[in-house]
Amino acid sequence: MVESIVLSGVAIGCIYALIGVAYNVMFSASRVFSFTAGTLGMVGGVLGSLFILRMGLPIWLGFILALAGGALLGVVTEIVAVRPVLKSLDQHLYVLSTLALALIVQQFTAIEWSTEPQPFPRIFDIPRGGFDQQFWLPMLACAVAVVGLELLYRYTLIGHAFRAIAEDNYAARALGLPERNLRIASFAIAGAIGALAGFAGGQLLLAFFANAPMLTFYGFVPVALGGMGNNRGAVVAGLILGLFQQAANFLVGGIFASVAVFTAFIFVLLAFPDGLAGASTQRRV
Amino acid sequence: MALTRRQALKSAAAAVAAAGIAKPAIAQKNPILIGYLPALTGPSSSTGVGINRGVQMAVDEINKAGGVDGHQLELISRDTQSDPTKAVNGAAELTKGHKVSVMFGPVNSGEAIPVVPLLARASVPQLHPCWVDQLTDPKKYPLCFRNGPTNQQIGGAANRYVVEVLKKKKVALISDTTGYGTASANAYGPMLKQIGAEVVYQAHVDAANPDLKPEVLRMQSAGAEAIMPWSVNAGFLSRLINTRGQLAWDVPICGQTTLGSGQTKALLEKPEYWNKVYPNNFRPVCYGPDGKLPQRTSAFMDRLRSAKIDMNDTLLWWIALGYDAPMLIRDAIKAAGPEPEKIVGYWNALKDFPGVYGDISFTPDEHNGYPDKQVVMVEANSLKEGAFNLAPGYGAA
Repeated sequence: MVESIVLSGVAIGCIYALIGVAYNVMFSASRVFSFTAGTLGMVGGVLGSLFILRMGLPIWLGFILALAGGALLGVVTEIVAVRPVLKSLDQHLYVLSTLALALIVQQFTAIEWSTEPQPFPRIFDIPRGGFDQQFWLPMLACAVAVVGLELLYRYTLIGHAFRAIAEDNYAARALGLPERNLRIASFAIAGAIGALAGFAGGQLLLAFFANAPMLTFYGFVPVALGGMGNNRGAVVAGLILGLFQQAANFLVGGIFASVAVFTAFIFVLLAFPDGLAGASTQRRV
Repeated sequence: MALTRRQALKSAAAAVAAAGIAKPAIAQKNPILIGYLPALTGPSSSTGVGINRGVQMAVDEINKAGGVDGHQLELISRDTQSDPTKAVNGAAELTKGHKVSVMFGPVNSGEAIPVVPLLARASVPQLHPCWVDQLTDPKKYPLCFRNGPTNQQIGGAANRYVVEVLKKKKVALISDTTGYGTASANAYGPMLKQIGAEVVYQAHVDAANPDLKPEVLRMQSAGAEAIMPWSVNAGFLSRLINTRGQLAWDVPICGQTTLGSGQTKALLEKPEYWNKVYPNNFRPVCYGPDGKLPQRTSAFMDRLRSAKIDMNDTLLWWIALGYDAPMLIRDAIKAAGPEPEKIVGYWNALKDFPGVYGDISFTPDEHNGYPDKQVVMVEANSLKEGAFNLAPGYGAA
């Protein structure tokens, strides 16, 4: 039982963590919580199945195209749902615009793809076993994405530029940084990370249009628990969420598992309003 | 004989009155208008498309044979797009605008729930195949008849198979969290107890849950001898079947027709995991213990083949129930006439209409026409030309 809780819990937790990271990357660049993050995950799974199973493309090509599709959707999100509402961030119009775009993409997928879950291909042709690829692929994807982002942000010039606009948008612009282009690039990276979550978790979640709201919902929990904009916090919180959810599945089962997860979530936020790893921000009064 | 002014006025008034009470939908040799509300697109369209093939074939056959007393049947169809709102709009248009004589459909329960009361108010006779129990009520909806089974019959057949044929007394009931899933599991649990079974485990699970191993392990430790899932979600059902297979747990899974669908099959990790999975189906459209379809159905299959109707992407029972509906309407109009009360009167006395899908009977107090004994279980892994083998344990009809 413990083995099953750990394997499933960590794998699902990694998918949630990746969606949380996608939220954070978009948030850092724009101060906007884009509720298309779960949709990006769903699109990654659907495109992977479409390219590899339905169109018969090689797995590596299907993988690259799925990530490219996610990146494209990230860019479209920035242009269609984020940029028009950036001037009125305090009115939180982005909630409506990003949710609307997510809904459009979800419904379009339901109509054009299928309303039923579709199979997702086995990525590696190896026999099924206890520590199966459906579990370790999300873990590997999460590790690669988080380490890659850390390296990008710490050791590259463009990474420093991303951090600059995340730190102080106006100052970065005053220094001559191309803020709009960097924001578009951030949304493209977030799109690819979201799609990576869906692709790596495709064997667990299947290629299903209704994964979008589920990932949007559960993917936001690591962000809230881990602290907004904090990728390391999102990963830790995602893993805790996955493990807790799976333990609740075993211990209480049925629909009560979701109740247990969100009860714990509310209690944690009551105790730590800025999240487990979030630092409280100072505000000039 | 001289015609007085008073006589002339009387004659003219009589002529006008006669014209006024002439039947709007069937004057002279005008076609008989049948309203039809299939879901040809959208989430429920796989059923609707299958049913539509049968409906079109029946209407073609009737019209080629001269129609009903010289009147051709004309289907006036509105695609509901699997949307209850569009079904209501279509029903209003067909009854008020086209003044159809009778209506077939909608063909799924979600759309039928708002349409049935609307047609009752419009006094249009209605035939539908939807399963939700409340969709027929001779007192509230005296013009509404069902040529399919009810949910009670579906659950009852599965329960009887598990308890009386497979002799399994300890049952695990599991459903998704949809209205259909929870209502079905909650209704069928007490029915199981009535026939001597014990529900050792019952749970409602989010269909999006990717890991059903905890649920299956709990069923196992509760001592379940059979699993009865109630869901139309192929992802949920396939995960359940896969988990049973991974645990090498040799218990039968019996339940809703989706267990035997192509979507469920596509999500199985191994084809052999589909063994010992028994979904609902209907005896007249199943291969019997001798491997043959009943004679009436076999002849129907020949006609389907000669009409070049594709059977590989649909199910025979969908086509058969669609085929039977225009035949039921034809018989009623031919025997009694196109007026609503005549159609209803005929159907109220209908006994053993020999449909391909089933033998339909109605009475004034019972508008659920499908017989209990024709609701059966089949082997999920036996699909061939849209039909399944009867599950083991059933004798010849």
